[in-house]
Amino acid sequence: MNIEELKNQIIDALNLEDLKPEDIDNDAPLFGEGLGLDSIDALELIVLMEKYYGIKLQNPAEGKQIFKSVNCMAEYIDAHRTK
Amino acid sequence: MPLDSAATTVLSFSPLMYNLYTDCPMPIYVLSANQISLQQPLSQDWMHDPVLPTEPFTRSIDPDYRPYVSPIEARRMGKLLKRALATSIQTLRDTGIEHPDAIITGTGLGSVESTEAFLLDMCRNGEQLLKPTHFMQSTHNTIGSLVAIQTKSHGYNATYSHKQISFECALYDAWLQMRTSAINNALVLGQDATTPNYYHLFNLVGYDGPEMKCTCGEASVATMLATSVPEGQTPLCQLRGVSLMHTPDNRRVAAALERMQVPADVVVLAGYNGLAANDVMYDRLLADVLSQAQVLHYKQLFGESYSASALGFYAAAHWIGSGQYRQILLMTIDRSGDVALTLLEK
Repeated sequence: MNIEELKNQIIDALNLEDLKPEDIDNDAPLFGEGLGLDSIDALELIVLMEKYYGIKLQNPAEGKQIFKSVNCMAEYIDAHRTK
Repeated sequence: MPLDSAATTVLSFSPLMYNLYTDCPMPIYVLSANQISLQQPLSQDWMHDPVLPTEPFTRSIDPDYRPYVSPIEARRMGKLLKRALATSIQTLRDTGIEHPDAIITGTGLGSVESTEAFLLDMCRNGEQLLKPTHFMQSTHNTIGSLVAIQTKSHGYNATYSHKQISFECALYDAWLQMRTSAINNALVLGQDATTPNYYHLFNLVGYDGPEMKCTCGEASVATMLATSVPEGQTPLCQLRGVSLMHTPDNRRVAAALERMQVPADVVVLAGYNGLAANDVMYDRLLADVLSQAQVLHYKQLFGESYSASALGFYAAAHWIGSGQYRQILLMTIDRSGDVALTLLEK
């Protein structure tokens, strides 16, 4: 999993125009503190995972763990990607 | 009582006999008006140093939005939403009215950039993988809703979409509500963006073309109307009346002008744009009902768009406010023949 590429996809999907990949800490929380994302961003991240990695999240409860940080996202994508 | 007498009694008190333009003593003031367009944004520099567009399609000059919305809040907003927010907040700051009684929006196309992005995604991805942000913003009433949320204004909120007279529809709603004392002030918006795709479509259907003598532009206007003037402020002008007519004949327009007490030699700010199909409607109407009027054009300065007349209103208010004119009648004729008349006065 290319973390740099994933960060660029997140920046693009969430219009985080003022951020560069190196500004995003791999282990920092994506929601609340850290990037301060909200529930609409969660929907955008779900679309991102399906669009680029063919992952359809069936259980919304999983989201909390998957989107905990960039590293958590990358691990989940590595384990479940279909493309 | 015989039936005929009863009918006569009812008619003598009918609202139809009441002339809202002249019988209501309550003045309606234009306290402030701001624009983002191809002219310098949020400024009246165009009055002495106008930007002169040279291209057939000219997009608006965007200001620095950070004084109006934080980058983190703005990141999901399209251009039109940011423009609507900046013009609205500036107008609220000008007037000191933090929470207007009403926010009323006129827009021909709404957030068309988001609508386009959403529809393109649908086509490209087989109706799958649609971005929620584009979906949320693709409705016309996102503009007024966003302004209400950001300014915490929980009053009346409505959006009108009626092509070139969308702004006047919003203005008419505000004017009627103030004339009937339902509200004391209203933030009225005229907001439209034009995308390259839409510019191409305008050309295909003949709403634009090489013979047009003004550029195709974009318009974001916010204005504050109020029935009283806050202490220490000077209004730009008064809104004397708004009249909307669906495909009227000239006699009906003449009757409306009479009801509004428009003098024969009034200054008319008309929506000429150089396209024969558009301009001939103004020529015919003006020659018949206002042949002595002095006619001014504004689209050469601000461009053509569905909300261009909002910029006409803005320009008229500032011309009167600066003392250049005492009275201006803004005339808008939609391509389908609908007519809107707006009378502004010192």
